[in-house]
Amino acid sequence: MSINRIEQRMAELQSKKEKAFITYITAGLPNMEATEEIIKAQKGYTDVIELGIPFSDPIADGPVIQQASYEALLGGASLKKTFELMSKLRSEGCEQPILFMMYYNTVVNYGVQAFAKKCQECGVDGLIIPDLPMEEQEDMLAALKGDDTTILIQLVSPVSAARIPEILDGARGFVYCVSAMGVTGQAADFHREVINYLKDVKSKSQIPVMMGFGIRTAEDVAPMKDIIDGAIVGSHFINLMRENSFKPEAAKEYVQNFKKELNAL
Amino acid sequence: MNSKAYYGEYGGQYVSESLMNTLAEIDKAFEEAIRDPEFIKQYHYYLKEYVGRETPLYLAERLSEKYGTKIYLKREDLNHTGAHKINNVIGQILLAKRMGKTKVIAETGAGQHGVATATGAALFNMECTVYMGKEDVERQALNVMRMEMLGAKVVPVVSGSNTLKDATNEAIRTWAKTAEDTFYIIGSAVGPHPYPKMVKEFQAVISREAKRQHMEKEGRLPDVVMACVGGGSNSIGMFADFIDEKGVELIGIEAAGKGIDTQEHAASMAKGYPGILHGMRSYLLQDEDGNVQLAHSISAGLDYPGVGPEHAYLHDTGRAKYVPITDTEAMDALMELTQVEGIIPAIESAHAMAYAFKKAKEMTPDQSMIVCLSGRGDKDVNTISNYLAGKGYLN
Repeated sequence: MSINRIEQRMAELQSKKEKAFITYITAGLPNMEATEEIIKAQKGYTDVIELGIPFSDPIADGPVIQQASYEALLGGASLKKTFELMSKLRSEGCEQPILFMMYYNTVVNYGVQAFAKKCQECGVDGLIIPDLPMEEQEDMLAALKGDDTTILIQLVSPVSAARIPEILDGARGFVYCVSAMGVTGQAADFHREVINYLKDVKSKSQIPVMMGFGIRTAEDVAPMKDIIDGAIVGSHFINLMRENSFKPEAAKEYVQNFKKELNAL
Repeated sequence: MNSKAYYGEYGGQYVSESLMNTLAEIDKAFEEAIRDPEFIKQYHYYLKEYVGRETPLYLAERLSEKYGTKIYLKREDLNHTGAHKINNVIGQILLAKRMGKTKVIAETGAGQHGVATATGAALFNMECTVYMGKEDVERQALNVMRMEMLGAKVVPVVSGSNTLKDATNEAIRTWAKTAEDTFYIIGSAVGPHPYPKMVKEFQAVISREAKRQHMEKEGRLPDVVMACVGGGSNSIGMFADFIDEKGVELIGIEAAGKGIDTQEHAASMAKGYPGILHGMRSYLLQDEDGNVQLAHSISAGLDYPGVGPEHAYLHDTGRAKYVPITDTEAMDALMELTQVEGIIPAIESAHAMAYAFKKAKEMTPDQSMIVCLSGRGDKDVNTISNYLAGKGYLN
């Protein structure tokens, strides 16, 4: 396949001058069936879905996703089951851009080459691996090379500074800007120099710039609306799903409103 | 790939992007510091005047006679705060000050590294927060008290298994948020580069002294050097100056818990395989999906599912050998050392003693071994008394 679903969606949004809306859910919370329904419910509103692969030691995540990950593991969630879900969705004609957010040990344990091949077969469009900085990406990039189905998404942080050009060199899909220092799911107390930082990344990036970490409503990104190309909601979406007993209707309502408000900013 | 960060295929820097500049700063500051005679002078000043170094290399006479070979004990248990951990804390905290940091954080399992860090923080007037699994906070109440007396804040970590690996995760998370003014003092020879290298550098004083002391007493190098391995800080310090001495056999002793054929052990090299945890690639106890498994050992200090990357490398290259010792073997050795030499060792160090007794049987009277007695057993009296009472143990 020559066109990547994420890149295709980004191009469409750009031509419509719309912002991207990205959500995160932990695969298998509370079970794989619920995850499947929550994915399907977002059709037409969410541009990219991040599926978190639960891991025993999620060092880049805050309490909400840690707990989600822990419960999903107890419920029997795994990478293999998530691959099965992906195959099922794709065989049913689901064209929703979906990426995996996961820790590198899960990849290494599966085998880097075998993992890349499996992602390509199952139609996993991208990967976010927070404990794999550019210095350690050689094996992963080599394994993904030659097939555009699955791309590696690059992350930058407010302290990346001089590292930004090198991180962005060859980056694909979109660049994920961590808006607050540290871990996922903090309150919206954005880093003091966040505006300057986002401007800096935007000025250096050839690809869309997304802001993640600590976003709840479309209003949260209003101060940066002229800089960023989209927003990512993780911990808040999980909390919301929990409060609504993981009902797909609640997911649909939230993403529908968020996307509408985001476009209206 | 930063080849400097690797020992063969092990090591690296598997951390989030927000820590990469911090690691680069530490690496630069560390490399400058260890080349600065003033820094080295200061480090050795505190080791001598505050920690009480050098520690003796004691010929355990009665044990040597019993086993028919010379058994030397490197007495790290005689250091201030009761173990080797303080050597590294002094080094890292001096580095933290040099870098202008005002706060330090640390992870701790049994509490030894936490106590050492709290001690160093009191000495150098720095704010100290120690992350400790909730389970460990409950079973190591005495060390929690010591840390609090020293002015540290102890944060019970409720996440995952509520033990050392989770405390480490939480320390890394906090660090990622606060690295501007906070230095993370890692206590074991683990973590992302340059930590394994720093810990080795600051623990190498153990083997530097031991090598010279053995030379003075015997006029030659020892035949065997051994130490227990959890993350591997006392062992890498004990091995450091002997690695290039090919005639010296190096042996690391892993905790086999209830046996390496059970599910309850901490023998990452005997039973694990390479993976990624706490910023490094090394041997790791993990399940078929790559989730990290809980380690088990009667000794909290060895209760860790991974091992330092240089040990993984020494293992693969065959330069060092790693052997497992069970809870029972360690406790028997602990009682033997106590009753024959009048030294109550930490349960961690007792693992090394247990293998020393096995190894001694294949050695001759004119040969000699050095065993690193990494810590004293005061902290373990509760565990020991429960074990002796047949109640099993707190762990």
